[in-house]
Amino acid sequence: MGNTPLVKLDSLSNNKVQYFAKLESHNPFGSVKDRAAYWMIKDAEEKGKLKKNHTIIIEPTSGNTGIALTGIANLLGYEVEIVIPEKASEETKKIIAKLGAKLYETSDDLCPKVGAGTDQSIALATSIASSRPDKYYSPNQYANEANFMGHYRGTGPEIWKQTEGKITHFFTGVGTGGTVTGISTYLKEQNPELKTIGVQPQQNHLIQGLRNFEESAKPDLFLRRENTVDDWITINNETAFAAVRELFAKEKLLVSPSSATVYAAMKKYPIEEGIVVGIFADDGRKFKSLYAQQKVFSEEEFDANLKQAKHLSKIAYLD
Amino acid sequence: MQISLFQTLSATTKKLDARGLFCPEPVFRTKIEVERMQVGETLTVLADDPNAEEDISRWVKRNGHELLSLNKQDSSLEFQIKKVK
Repeated sequence: MGNTPLVKLDSLSNNKVQYFAKLESHNPFGSVKDRAAYWMIKDAEEKGKLKKNHTIIIEPTSGNTGIALTGIANLLGYEVEIVIPEKASEETKKIIAKLGAKLYETSDDLCPKVGAGTDQSIALATSIASSRPDKYYSPNQYANEANFMGHYRGTGPEIWKQTEGKITHFFTGVGTGGTVTGISTYLKEQNPELKTIGVQPQQNHLIQGLRNFEESAKPDLFLRRENTVDDWITINNETAFAAVRELFAKEKLLVSPSSATVYAAMKKYPIEEGIVVGIFADDGRKFKSLYAQQKVFSEEEFDANLKQAKHLSKIAYLD
Repeated sequence: MQISLFQTLSATTKKLDARGLFCPEPVFRTKIEVERMQVGETLTVLADDPNAEEDISRWVKRNGHELLSLNKQDSSLEFQIKKVK
């Protein structure tokens, strides 16, 4: 897990600014969330919160954490229940079910006091866990310091080493806030001049994993270190999906909507000079039906692209 | 206790005991039960989380079903919901 590749984006780079993508799909269960899942479970075990073959781990997720937690927790001997928004991709839900978790799907109108999407899932997971505390443990990635630690101790140092300490700008989307706060905090301790740019999708977005802070709450994990972000950029659905196509055409990378969003942000944000790194949280393999529906790639095009795509990782559940 | 209440209900009415569960679990479980039912069938839901009164009533109306009745006894709520579509 971890030590994921840093790949240069030739299509964006020039003599003054070099752009790199950190391919987090190169984790055992296919996404950056493997890090958070592993660190949160290990942390819970150390604190005595988990009993093997007794405790059920329940977690709200937009997808990748569900996959990572289920994969890793099952290996370590815990049952998992995942609370996910209805609008998550079918492929994501199938993978989680196939890996052995029980799924609860939330609609946007369940609890009028909270926002849409994963805010509903968080409310439900919390209510289920708190009514049966002897049986359930919820890592709560939206508030768990271990999520931050996984990036502060893992991803951040990797990026520093991989860029030989020369990174000047860091781009990432924000979901729980673990990636942005963990990595940015570490990098700025090494170089206080570094700039962190947070990438936001539009309101009513289709970008699995990311949050727009006008329609969704800022997670506690993010709020704790919100100031680490220097600037923000918002990318709409159309631009993001166009970027998926562009990334494949120019770099032969088959990416996820959130990765394309980060790419579009890096492309749009004015930078005169520097070394820029963006987080590509996962790849495009879970999004065939979404891409067909959004007219990004037809199913046939997707299948053909899959065969030609570069830097595709080996993922545990695809064997 | 409410156990005898359950026993007096007709066998064709579906029942959901959501007591001891917190918002939004009662409305979530109600939604699951209603989705599983046939149109025209009735569901009785018992809950004791005060938020459930608003959550469930609102969900039922917003999704086009009928709230046949809502009985309140101390902190106990009893909903009768008819699936309309």
